[in-house]
Amino acid sequence: MSVEIDTRPIWVLLLLKALRPFFFIALALGFYWLITLEPPRGLSDAGLKAIAVFAVCLVLWVTNALPLAITSLLAMVLVPLFGILPVKQTYALFGNEAVFFILGAFILAGAVMHSGLSTRIALAIMDRFGASPKRLLLSVYLLAATFSFVMSEHAVAAMLFPIVLEVSKSLGLKPGKSNYGKLLFLALAWGCIIGGVGTFLGGGRVPLAVGILKEISGVQIGFIEYSIAVFPLVAIMLVIGYFMLTRFFPMDVVDVQGVHAVLGRRLKGLGKMSGAEWATGAVLGLTILAWIALGRHGLSVVALSSVVVLFVLRLVKWRDIEEYVNWGIILMYGGAIVLGAALDYSGAAKWMVDALIGGWAGSPLAVFAGLSLLSIMLTEAMSNSAVIAVLVPVSISLSGTLGMSPSVLTYSIMVSAGLAFMFPMSTPGNAIVVSSNYVTVRDMAIPGAVMVFISWIVFNLVAYLYWPIIGLGR
Amino acid sequence: MKNVLLALSTSGTDDAVIAYAVGRAKKDGAGLVALYILDLDLANSVFDNFTDIGFIGDKPSSELSEAIMKEYRQRGYEELGRVQVKAMEEAVPFEPLMEQGNYVEKTLAIIVDRKVSTAVLVKHKQRSLYKYFTISHADEVKKAANCEVVIFVEKG
Repeated sequence: MSVEIDTRPIWVLLLLKALRPFFFIALALGFYWLITLEPPRGLSDAGLKAIAVFAVCLVLWVTNALPLAITSLLAMVLVPLFGILPVKQTYALFGNEAVFFILGAFILAGAVMHSGLSTRIALAIMDRFGASPKRLLLSVYLLAATFSFVMSEHAVAAMLFPIVLEVSKSLGLKPGKSNYGKLLFLALAWGCIIGGVGTFLGGGRVPLAVGILKEISGVQIGFIEYSIAVFPLVAIMLVIGYFMLTRFFPMDVVDVQGVHAVLGRRLKGLGKMSGAEWATGAVLGLTILAWIALGRHGLSVVALSSVVVLFVLRLVKWRDIEEYVNWGIILMYGGAIVLGAALDYSGAAKWMVDALIGGWAGSPLAVFAGLSLLSIMLTEAMSNSAVIAVLVPVSISLSGTLGMSPSVLTYSIMVSAGLAFMFPMSTPGNAIVVSSNYVTVRDMAIPGAVMVFISWIVFNLVAYLYWPIIGLGR
Repeated sequence: MKNVLLALSTSGTDDAVIAYAVGRAKKDGAGLVALYILDLDLANSVFDNFTDIGFIGDKPSSELSEAIMKEYRQRGYEELGRVQVKAMEEAVPFEPLMEQGNYVEKTLAIIVDRKVSTAVLVKHKQRSLYKYFTISHADEVKKAANCEVVIFVEKG
């Protein structure tokens, strides 16, 4: 038996041990100090407490000192505890339609992954179209983007990563040194990011923002309405993304024939396409058609009906779903909606807007540009769902002050919050790509910063030039 | 018998570094211990990242971290194989080691355990600004080790 000796200096060890309790004590004291202050003019006592809860959640979401879902749970504890909202109303908000839509969408995605359909499609497309280095790269990039239209972008990254890793190994690409290795992994990450912005299904971010918007202002954004609004951004960014990738990292391989043996072997291992795969694909396809057809209404009803159909047809078992769905998502999004509603109903959001933003927020265009920039910057350093939870309630109040459509400002945040190109901490897709060692943080940060800037400009141009044509924001 | 330790980089070690370690072992009449460390923290952080932030289920998240560990293990075997070939060419006694755990702790433990006289380590090139705020694992080992430590700087 060997004894491992910690060789770090004693003061470092003591500091590390004391840091976490000290952090939480400081946070609790800060919270106590805030709620015992005399409320400023125009702010109610409940509003002051709502701001204190908001500040605690913001710190915890930014620092990741607690899992995101547990921070949301804390909001659901503090809001009724300090009388910001009645207990009954707090937990009724938890049953918001958006929460059940997200749940249904994640279960559907889990069923698709469990059936093996998504992996089969990915392998078949790479094998069929990846004849040259350029085409193989495009296959990875567009596959990641297309899958992210119908599944959570994080799930797509998790699914495609082992395939891209095998592809890179079969080509003998050197981790950290091969440009083509960097290209393949960054194409995976960027494809997921850009595709994830395209529909409600790319992650929980958009349904969460839409849920908060409906809860606070009563305004609803439809499934197809959203996709029509962001389609030009997605299309333009996909083209720019590919251009940027190949400019930053010129291809250093000329032949990718070795890949096909690997892909072919894996496809052969999957056998013939099963009835369950066909049926799961059909359920997913019909669900999307129903979402498009029903527009603004019944999104969660459709999602949950499809889940029931999956079980009626015995395409999945409950155990399978438990393995693929993280139930923390319900806590995260339920709590975020509670927090948003608490800020609005207590008048805290309006007070923050008047006190902090109202003075400089003159032109609607500047507000849109400013909020989208703030959202895009925050999402580089914190979870995109947390960005939504923090910014959307305030932006809805701001829209009332400025006489703007609340849905337009919600768009400015929910779309920008998905454009996390720069760091591993920005989104799990980036983290996994860097952990492959094919891409360094520097490889990601510099092109990522350029992409962030370009996507912000393109998004604002789309909003300014294209949205009036489709009648958005009138 | 004296030993020279070569701690391999997870992103591939330059031929020049391997050649130096083998040459140094030969010159000193020492054995060569090649160490490849599998960083469990990384696989765990990938799992946490996908479950806590991405809200992905346990199965895909654990498959992902297993894929990372499998990849690192394979890279480790390949790297150790490269060193073995070079050591055999130079007729230097060779011992391959693959360990799981923290880089600094494991390297220091091996230095003591294998009575290492010279440790050859690799670190990434750091920007001047970072140097003020962070210390590389290789520098941490150098600070705490009771033997000669030679550090090569990896580009990129």
